[in-house]
Amino acid sequence: MSGRDPAGAVFEALADPMRRRLLQTISASPSTATELAGELPISRQAVAKHLAALSQAGLLERERSGRDVRYRMTPAPLSDAVSWIAGVGGQWDERLARLAALSRPGATPPLH
Amino acid sequence: MTDLIERELPLPGTPAQLWPALTDPEWLGCWLADEVALELRPGGEARFRFGEEQRDGWVEEVSPPAPGSAPGTTGRLCFWWQAPDEAASRVSLELIAGRDGTTLRVIEARPLEVLDLVGLPMPGDAAGGDRYGPALIAAAG
Repeated sequence: MSGRDPAGAVFEALADPMRRRLLQTISASPSTATELAGELPISRQAVAKHLAALSQAGLLERERSGRDVRYRMTPAPLSDAVSWIAGVGGQWDERLARLAALSRPGATPPLH
Repeated sequence: MTDLIERELPLPGTPAQLWPALTDPEWLGCWLADEVALELRPGGEARFRFGEEQRDGWVEEVSPPAPGSAPGTTGRLCFWWQAPDEAASRVSLELIAGRDGTTLRVIEARPLEVLDLVGLPMPGDAAGGDRYGPALIAAAG
């Protein structure tokens, strides 16, 4: 990887689980903000905000089709290393959240 | 170059009290993966199931913590795992006694790409973990 700053922006953009989900949806097929709002449990305004953050990090590009703006993924900043770190890092965040929940008072750990 | 992920989680209790969370299959099955089988010795086999996905690996280090919460008390479990069609990576789970509770430090690192050609050495394979294991560990360190 060359240049740490772009990677930093990418990680920041991907720190949010909803943005990771948006990116996943868009990577499957380029979509408009309205389509994305229909598929995800958030408002069109929230989708627009996340799309702006992802675009700023250079992860998305806008493409005009008629009156709509369609977003598609730009593979460039997501080099193999960056995507590994984002993907595996997200998995650890989920695992540690589960462990934190297990260790809370009142939780019933499987320990005898 | 090594790709590396590091996370820390504060937990209540001493490292010794939390050690089962890293080593007991029942505990591990509640947070690390859907199903975990670990042979708790260096070179031991490790298996992880995430839904349909099966990851195989091996245990590199098992260092249980001493009882108590004296500063400097640590326990560490290191293993390697590999998802199908992906490069193997090394996971280090370390419990570190702090002033108030324990910190779990997670480091997952993927070693040099060139090592991916070798693949993940499995104990019992013809190649044998003893032959390739130390080289991989040295390169990942």
